[in-house]
Amino acid sequence: MQKFKSYCSKPANLITVIFLTLLLLAVVLPLSTLLIGSFKVNGNQEAIWIGDEVADGSWTFHHWTELLTSKEFNYAETKFWIPLGQSALMALIACFVAVLFGGMVAWFITRSDLPAKQFISTVFVFPYIMPSWSMAMFWENFFKNTSINAGMGILQSVTGLCVPESFVYGLWPCAMSLGLHYAPFAYILIGGILRNMDANLEEAATVLKASRFKILRRITLPIVLPALVSTVLLVFSSSISSFTVPFFLNKSSISSGNNFVSISVQMRNLINTGFTIGQGYVVAIVLMIFSIGILTLNNWLTGTRKSFTTVTGKSGQVSLVKLGRARTPTAAIMIVIVAFFAIMPLLSFAMESLFEVPGDWSTFTLRYWTSTELFEGSNKGDTIGILRSATLWQAMGRSLLLSVLVSILAGTFGILIGYAVARKRGSRAATLMSDLAFLPYLIPSMSFGAVYLALSYTKGFTWLDSSFFLLLLVGSVKFMPFASRAGTSAMLQLSGEIEEAAVIMGVPWWKRMTRVLFPIQKASFISGYLLPFISCMREMSLFVLLAASYTTLVTTLLQEYSRTGLTQASNAINLLIILVVLVIQFAVNKLTGASLDRGIGG
Amino acid sequence: MPKIVLEHITKRFGSNSGANAVQDLNMVIEDREFITLLGPSGCGKTTTLRMIAGLETPTEGRITIGDTVVFDSKESINISPAKRDIGFLFQNYALWPHMTVYQNISFGLENLGWARDRIRERVKEMLALLQIESFEKRYPSELSGGQQQRVAIARTLAPAPKVLFMDEPLSNLDAKLRLEMRTELKRLHASTDSTFVYVTHDQLEAMTLATHVCLMNNGLLQQYAPPLSVYNDPANLFAAEFVGSPTMNFIPASAEKTGANTAKLTALGHTFLFEGNEPLEGLQEGKDNAVLGVRPEFVHLEEGELSGLVYAALPAGMETTVQLKAEGQLITSVKFGGVDYTVNTPMNFTFVGSGLLFFDKASGKKLSKGSVKLA
Repeated sequence: MQKFKSYCSKPANLITVIFLTLLLLAVVLPLSTLLIGSFKVNGNQEAIWIGDEVADGSWTFHHWTELLTSKEFNYAETKFWIPLGQSALMALIACFVAVLFGGMVAWFITRSDLPAKQFISTVFVFPYIMPSWSMAMFWENFFKNTSINAGMGILQSVTGLCVPESFVYGLWPCAMSLGLHYAPFAYILIGGILRNMDANLEEAATVLKASRFKILRRITLPIVLPALVSTVLLVFSSSISSFTVPFFLNKSSISSGNNFVSISVQMRNLINTGFTIGQGYVVAIVLMIFSIGILTLNNWLTGTRKSFTTVTGKSGQVSLVKLGRARTPTAAIMIVIVAFFAIMPLLSFAMESLFEVPGDWSTFTLRYWTSTELFEGSNKGDTIGILRSATLWQAMGRSLLLSVLVSILAGTFGILIGYAVARKRGSRAATLMSDLAFLPYLIPSMSFGAVYLALSYTKGFTWLDSSFFLLLLVGSVKFMPFASRAGTSAMLQLSGEIEEAAVIMGVPWWKRMTRVLFPIQKASFISGYLLPFISCMREMSLFVLLAASYTTLVTTLLQEYSRTGLTQASNAINLLIILVVLVIQFAVNKLTGASLDRGIGG
Repeated sequence: MPKIVLEHITKRFGSNSGANAVQDLNMVIEDREFITLLGPSGCGKTTTLRMIAGLETPTEGRITIGDTVVFDSKESINISPAKRDIGFLFQNYALWPHMTVYQNISFGLENLGWARDRIRERVKEMLALLQIESFEKRYPSELSGGQQQRVAIARTLAPAPKVLFMDEPLSNLDAKLRLEMRTELKRLHASTDSTFVYVTHDQLEAMTLATHVCLMNNGLLQQYAPPLSVYNDPANLFAAEFVGSPTMNFIPASAEKTGANTAKLTALGHTFLFEGNEPLEGLQEGKDNAVLGVRPEFVHLEEGELSGLVYAALPAGMETTVQLKAEGQLITSVKFGGVDYTVNTPMNFTFVGSGLLFFDKASGKKLSKGSVKLA
């Protein structure tokens, strides 16, 4: 007891004890309820569905066996294996697009004498700040046409061209939107390595008379390879479990043969029926295993190869590839492409919300922004003009409140965890704590939502069901990895002596944190607050299973509107979300110098 | 005034695996001394310093500063560094980059609850003492290494600590500046009447600064004595080799005791008679059982009956280091003045004086100090 007391007298130890307990409760406990839930009968409806007179709450292997093996009406195949295979295919194409596009831009920006680099680089990252479904919405806005009964899109209204349905909805468009969304992510990862790579490595080869191409193939590519592999794995793992993009782009009619149900959408369907909840949990677990496997592989690969990706960052002049006569045209093309994907989506959201028929000025209307008319059969306060809609403002307020609280909790916890990890480097408890804090990153949002859904259905925790606190809990835990990573790396950069110098002077712990450590790494720490805020503000998949009618968030409202076919309203809301995120990010960046690309994650 | 006593201090890192970082260290540091903890990297000297300062917790033992027991593993006493009335100068200065020079120095005083005027006065005094008045408003990043070092010293000295700990404070400076700061530290020690404990791996620094050197290796205390004693009377082969530059000559020999203090030595193809000041107790019998330690200044060239070939001559102006090869053994000699010898010239030499050391090879211990004569 005496020992424990003196152990806890050190702040780093006390933090470790507290956060280990909290994380066990907030991460491990819900995960185990999900696992248990997949082996149990969840509710009376499910008991009736399974038949065989099983009682609610009894143990069963039914969920696993039926979903993975049942041949009745090809149940396993249509409900699980085909969606899984198609999602994997979608994720592969998305990887290819992201790496090719992002890698190309990264190379041009870091290794050539392209003009207007600053502009291209800033604008290129832009789509990544938008909510993940923005590209999908834009895709639909752009390509939809009357030949497939989907209203007139931008392309049709400008050129009159109608693309076939498989180009608007289904697997291919999903993969493309995901790829375009993650291209900036690939750019950040690959560009980071290229930029910091010691130029001497290439120069050494130049001196040995190796040709440009040979240097690229034998020196540059192998060094960038770990970053490439990382990008592929991270994009793959995020894409395969993506819920939002397939949700917006799986509107094909079943008869067209182009029907595409992704595995995440399938999970939500299974859970929402009320009698296949257990099978939904099974999908969540499978996706989780997928993600954890991929990310472990990634850590293992980058871990063992780190030795030669070590960046010194000390290199001086990099000899840039001269693009010569191609310089201006290349820059022009790049600017057009980059601007198209960054600015056009915003324009398209604005247009969709301002026109009955996009591009047709005679149908221009402010109705969807300002009208006080009520939707047919809608709830109280659900007006057509979203700016007048009490429902929207409530949801917006709730989203902001949630995001602020999540960012305060996750950000502060992240700093404290970072502090403890840095002070107790190598200790088993600290390592376990940082692993636990990082674990939510490995779990797909949708599965994570399912985890907490399972918890809120568990005896003793039902008070969580549909509460705001549940959203707060799930958000804080899910976005803690960003903050704890930012906090840990910032703390590790500070030598222990900086704090010890204050310890010797008798500065109390609280004052050391606020007066010495925080001010020095202000930018990194504030990024640790900013990232959870922005991620939370634009998060849909995580909350879609958990938000109840009286805890509607702005993203789940968007989802609801989109599902019921209110295109103008959902576009307007999306625009609103993007504006809020941008304004806040810009303001924080200007005020504190913190920025999103520090430790930005998948 | 404080006297620091370390009793049976042991430190293990991690769980019981591996060697101890510091093992059963006993040491008394008298008031106003200037102690250097000397040893190769990883020998436990920094750990020792940090344990006395309270930044690291010993696994076992007891530390007393002045009349206060600041650490005792048995009674679970562990007083925080802040309450030990000490100053600590870090290797890379640990200046707070977001505070100006003035703020860096005043921050600690504010915490002690000093009045504003008094702080102002003290900071001015410190700035003047270290001749950095003109940098008061600058940030650490705007200063050179030497200036940062001075700020760090000023910050450490400002609260007038009774004991000042320094962890290789000069290792990040260039050679010229290091020499300058060394002088300054020695003067500071004289003018502040604090006890200084100083960690270094540079034997020259340890020799020139300290009143007592604490030589450590692999977590074990090797010798705790004034610098010249360590130089002239090293306790064992490690101490003899670590201190002094160029390094002492170690000549393998077979010894046969002829009296309490005397022995017959066979080395370099000759037979010598050794006569020491202490009895050769504990000498193991047998062939190759001894090592004769000869400082380079005790090897005189161009005289005597021993002979070898010049291997290399390194004239440095004030003195010349000459290496000879005799019987397959390299012998280093230092000669005053700049002389150059051609490689492979035959050369006579002899061992002079009564400062030759007799080591037992098996234990590495120095048994006696004395002179040799050719038999």
